Amino acid sequence: MFALARLLFLGFIVLSVIYVCLSFYSRAVRRDKLRSEWDQDGMTGDRDAFVQQGLDDYDGSLRRKLILGVYVIPFVLMCVVIYLTNFA
Amino acid sequence: MRYIKWLFIVSFWVLVASFFHYTLPQKDIVRITDTYEKRIDFGENSIFWASADTGNSVTALNRDVFFIQSRQTSNNRVMVYRNEDTGWGWPPYLKFDTTNLQAEAADVKSTAAEPQYAIIKHYGWRNEFMSIFPNAISVKPVDGPDASKGIPFLNIIILSLFAMVVYFIWVRWRRFRMARIDPAIEEMQDNWDAAGDAVNDRRGRVRRWLSTWRAK
Repeated sequence: MFALARLLFLGFIVLSVIYVCLSFYSRAVRRDKLRSEWDQDGMTGDRDAFVQQGLDDYDGSLRRKLILGVYVIPFVLMCVVIYLTNFA
Repeated sequence: MRYIKWLFIVSFWVLVASFFHYTLPQKDIVRITDTYEKRIDFGENSIFWASADTGNSVTALNRDVFFIQSRQTSNNRVMVYRNEDTGWGWPPYLKFDTTNLQAEAADVKSTAAEPQYAIIKHYGWRNEFMSIFPNAISVKPVDGPDASKGIPFLNIIILSLFAMVVYFIWVRWRRFRMARIDPAIEEMQDNWDAAGDAVNDRRGRVRRWLSTWRAK
């Protein structure tokens, strides 16, 4: 059990680093997109409020939850490998 | 200097290549001649052995290891595989069915007179000088020595991903070097040249002054 605990613990740490980096990166990309959308459409008013509104929408979106795939995909992959190696 | 640089680069890539050659799966078509188990006392070669069966004690200094003896069809030489759990550790084959695999291998045992061929998927190296053996992952009976081994999709995917990561890092490193390091080195070079000129200039002046004292 110790070996499994060690694998899960190390895996969790590595994947968390990837998850945090990816979510910051994705949020930054979304922010840039909102800004360029504002500039291209020549909208008037409060640009920061528009960007903030867009980011709030993004926080609740499915797209952001998809980043959780960082944890899900390796776990599924691990289960598939276990099945193929030992039971197929 | 240039040779030392290339020595480093070549050693690095040889290490990377041997890492992949050791870790990635390969398939051999063989005729299994026997299966046995032997007590192994791990020494200098201990990193080339995997772990005890998952769930067993990990503190034992020695243990029995399963082996599969075979004759390869490609070059007609013998090859001996070990058969060990990789468990939850490295390399990530997540193999727990060592004892079952040994039963499957024993099941397709055959003689030269009445051959039964099998594909053994394995990773690792055989090295007589260090007494290390490739670890068998699976055994599958096949019709003949010319059976297809299939396309190694897993190896293709892993190596392509690795190449992509290397290219990504290399491009970024090159850009970083062109933007930051090369200008700094050029500046150092310029400063060095300027300092050299100044020293020469001063030396020239001292020499001229000395020469005024010489008898004409």
